[in-house]
Amino acid sequence: MKPLSVKNIRKTFTLSRKQRKIEQTDAARKVAVDNVSFEARPGEIFGLLGPNGAGKTTTLRCVATLIRPDEGDISVDGFSVLTDAGNVRKRIAFLTNELKLEDHFTPTYLYRYFSRLHGIDDDVANTRREAIFKRFGIDKFAEVKVADLSSGMKQKTSLAVSLVHDPDYIVFDEPTNGLDVLTARTVTDYLQELRDQGKTVILSTHILSVVEKLCDRVGIIIDGEMKAMDTLTRVKAASSDGELETLFFDLVEASAGESHA
Amino acid sequence: MRNIWTIFRKELYRVFSDRRLILMIFILPGVSIFAMYWLIGTLIHNQMEAVREHTIVIYEEHMPATVRANLESLADLDDPITFSFLDDETYDLATLKDLVREGDIDIALVFEADFEAKIDDYHIDDPPVVDILHNYGRQHSSFAYNTVSSVLETYRSDKLLGRLENPDHALIFASVYHADDIVDERRIAGQGLAMLLPFLTIIFLFSAAMSIGPDSIAGEKERGTVATLLITPIKRSEIAIGKVVSLGLLTLASAISSFIGIVLSLPRLMQADTNNIDYAIYGVAEMLLILFTLMATVLIIVGLIAVISAYARTIKEASMLIMPFYLVTMIIGIMSSFGTEPSQSLWVHFIPIYGAVNFLNGVFVFDYAVANFVVVVATSVLYTTAFVVLLTRLFNSEKVMFQK
Repeated sequence: MKPLSVKNIRKTFTLSRKQRKIEQTDAARKVAVDNVSFEARPGEIFGLLGPNGAGKTTTLRCVATLIRPDEGDISVDGFSVLTDAGNVRKRIAFLTNELKLEDHFTPTYLYRYFSRLHGIDDDVANTRREAIFKRFGIDKFAEVKVADLSSGMKQKTSLAVSLVHDPDYIVFDEPTNGLDVLTARTVTDYLQELRDQGKTVILSTHILSVVEKLCDRVGIIIDGEMKAMDTLTRVKAASSDGELETLFFDLVEASAGESHA
Repeated sequence: MRNIWTIFRKELYRVFSDRRLILMIFILPGVSIFAMYWLIGTLIHNQMEAVREHTIVIYEEHMPATVRANLESLADLDDPITFSFLDDETYDLATLKDLVREGDIDIALVFEADFEAKIDDYHIDDPPVVDILHNYGRQHSSFAYNTVSSVLETYRSDKLLGRLENPDHALIFASVYHADDIVDERRIAGQGLAMLLPFLTIIFLFSAAMSIGPDSIAGEKERGTVATLLITPIKRSEIAIGKVVSLGLLTLASAISSFIGIVLSLPRLMQADTNNIDYAIYGVAEMLLILFTLMATVLIIVGLIAVISAYARTIKEASMLIMPFYLVTMIIGIMSSFGTEPSQSLWVHFIPIYGAVNFLNGVFVFDYAVANFVVVVATSVLYTTAFVVLLTRLFNSEKVMFQK
């Protein structure tokens, strides 16, 4: 399995008149991600740390092929998101709060439906479903409509459905956002299990403790630019007091100073 | 193909596993259309019956006995028309006008005192006069006038014949009537249906597609479920085809529900003599042509609505954007149904929807060409393909799919 490689990607968005007013700018385009590069390797969790609006989600959406970078490229198991998006999608799982499941269906139906869209045989899908539903405690609610599930159970169902094809690359945008502590723990434990299985895991977060608890390597992204990237130990070592928090706030302040200069 | 089938099945399951949607899409359209048209038909019927069963209040002065006898004889008809004669009192014209205006009297006939004597001793400078007072703003009065007019006309003809020495001289020329062996009875039977059914059916198709399409695509965007679908490895074109075909089938089923409603209520609506319309005049060929034309048309309509729904950000926006196309479709339906005879020109059948309605009109009056059918179906497939290609591009457009 090859590393997931992000090479010098840049992504801009056109701002509507209303958005320009909100952002108090005359610029017609906004640079969401600027020349970002990183590599996530098999058997590790790579964390993308940054404040809200830093460009984390945009970067991950580019990885997931939902949007295309204007410049640069992303390679997943040797397949380019620009030229071979279908093969990339076969190999990754992408999970974000923005991706919803249809309320009308049950977890069992959705698992089978997405398994078929991924070309998984029904027998294999059933075996995987039973295992993962049991793992997350979805089995008791397998025939309950998504609309009637708790938000934690919905999130766990989304995670299970995103993994129907047992992908080698898992991309997770803000994995613990909006979850109660029990569900968050289940999710983070599972991400560690996936890493231990040798899979490549990328997650984005603005919560420092998540990075410290889960990530092997981390990239700090601020205002669309990668400000620091290394193993968690080395990144922390780069701060004045050896704390990730100190480094993070130093970088945020430095970036704010640059933009005001 | 397998992915298209998966999308198709899921879209159908979404509807068929929801009792509320089944009721809304398949049962309510037929029941409401039937109830609406049946009610309209019943009200018209009751109104006509009420007019016919009303005893006409007629005022007369010096009415010839023959005229009165003829009017009274109408009570012996199968659908009797009865009169109540007011001949006890005498009113002047001004009073009579007021009484007719108020509806106290339906019609007044004031013959000159020596009316019949003047007919027998006719002078062109001094013809006999009858004053007829009626109020065409009142249904009973209008009906009374029509009835009385026909009786007076018979009286006039009889008197005219009486002036001829030999009544046979009234025959100016003889007509030999050949129309009965020329007319196509099926065409006559189909004309009423041709005026209503193609137009209504296309409207039903569009309404049904409007009620399902926006939720299936714009709804998925609005609810955030379309992105979940877009990160699967299936091709965007497979999503587009799966959506269009499943929506097409659901729309057709919904339109058939409405179609059944109108077919059952049409005899009542059209006040058919036997309260029954002979649908059996149409053979298997016509039925198949109608079905295939509707299937072809539904694909165009669904393709159009799918594209608009994919472009729109919300269901509400999609519904608003679809509305002008709905109005255009209504105008097309009205133009082709209430216009002249169905056109047999080949190029007309290249026009989306208009060509199909025109062809359906032809089928209902048994005046159609197979070449036109081929054009309707082939162009529908082409237009639908274009819509699927466009829909695929929209699914590929991050700006369209993820704009807020």
